[in-house]
Amino acid sequence: MLVDFEVIKRAQAGDSAAFNEIVLAYRRKILGHISHLIARTEDVEDVAQEVFVRMYYSLDQLRAAEVFEPWLYTLTKNAAYDYLRKQKRRQEFRMSDLSEQQVTMADAAAGGKAEQDEQYYKKIRESVDALLGAVSEADRVLLMMKEVEGLSLKDLEKIYKVNENALKVRLFRARQRVLKAFGAAEKKQAESAG
Amino acid sequence: MRGNNEEKLDALFRAFAACPTPEPSANFMPVLWQKIEARQTFTFSFRRMANAFAAAAVALTVALSAYMYVPRANSSVPSQTYLDVLSDAHPLVAPELVSPARLEYDAGK
Repeated sequence: MLVDFEVIKRAQAGDSAAFNEIVLAYRRKILGHISHLIARTEDVEDVAQEVFVRMYYSLDQLRAAEVFEPWLYTLTKNAAYDYLRKQKRRQEFRMSDLSEQQVTMADAAAGGKAEQDEQYYKKIRESVDALLGAVSEADRVLLMMKEVEGLSLKDLEKIYKVNENALKVRLFRARQRVLKAFGAAEKKQAESAG
Repeated sequence: MRGNNEEKLDALFRAFAACPTPEPSANFMPVLWQKIEARQTFTFSFRRMANAFAAAAVALTVALSAYMYVPRANSSVPSQTYLDVLSDAHPLVAPELVSPARLEYDAGK
């Protein structure tokens, strides 16, 4: 926990300073989570603010200190999901773009650590964003939490309140879809190169 | 055995996870509080409107109940029964036909 439960209690009682303290403690972490869930840096801050607005209005529902972080993560997951769902300009799976991006990705995976400039990160984010167009918004969020955020199935169980086996099945199917999209893009890239 | 694409996909996810976290902007907190207050205003307005509707509904119910239960002087509801009204409206045209039968009895015979 980045803050004491006392601070949370004060925030629950309407103390704005305590609420600010929680936001300042968690905002960087939440921004990081959201950047992985939505992969569009320009909207990350907006979604993070939405998470904290929701936290402000539902803080009184929180009963125990130990569930604060999973609870905050649930709010983050829901806000990211709502954002993705509202996003009418959801990217279609664009094979041509992805093929080009995958070249960058392959270079990155090969170890281009020295070239970590903004352009490189942008390309990585775009590649992932395009690939995730192959799955639903809900599965996208779940997959990112597992694969990128590195959350365990136990953590996900707490967040989703669904049993582990159901999550495993969803994750497996989502990953297979993304993998299929990835393979198709690779194939197309190989054809265009050859 | 994991395929080549699986490894590449994992590498992509790893690269994505390693992307730097965006820094909060200088006006993160002011904008956040603006959003909180905007929603508070909206919620407050909505609650006030809902309360006004509820109060109006209660007042209307009380008024209608009073209207229905208070006896009115010039009541249009007849005090007679339906049969009374019907018999007054259509007096018997041939009362002899329905008058009690008289038994003619001649005691001398």
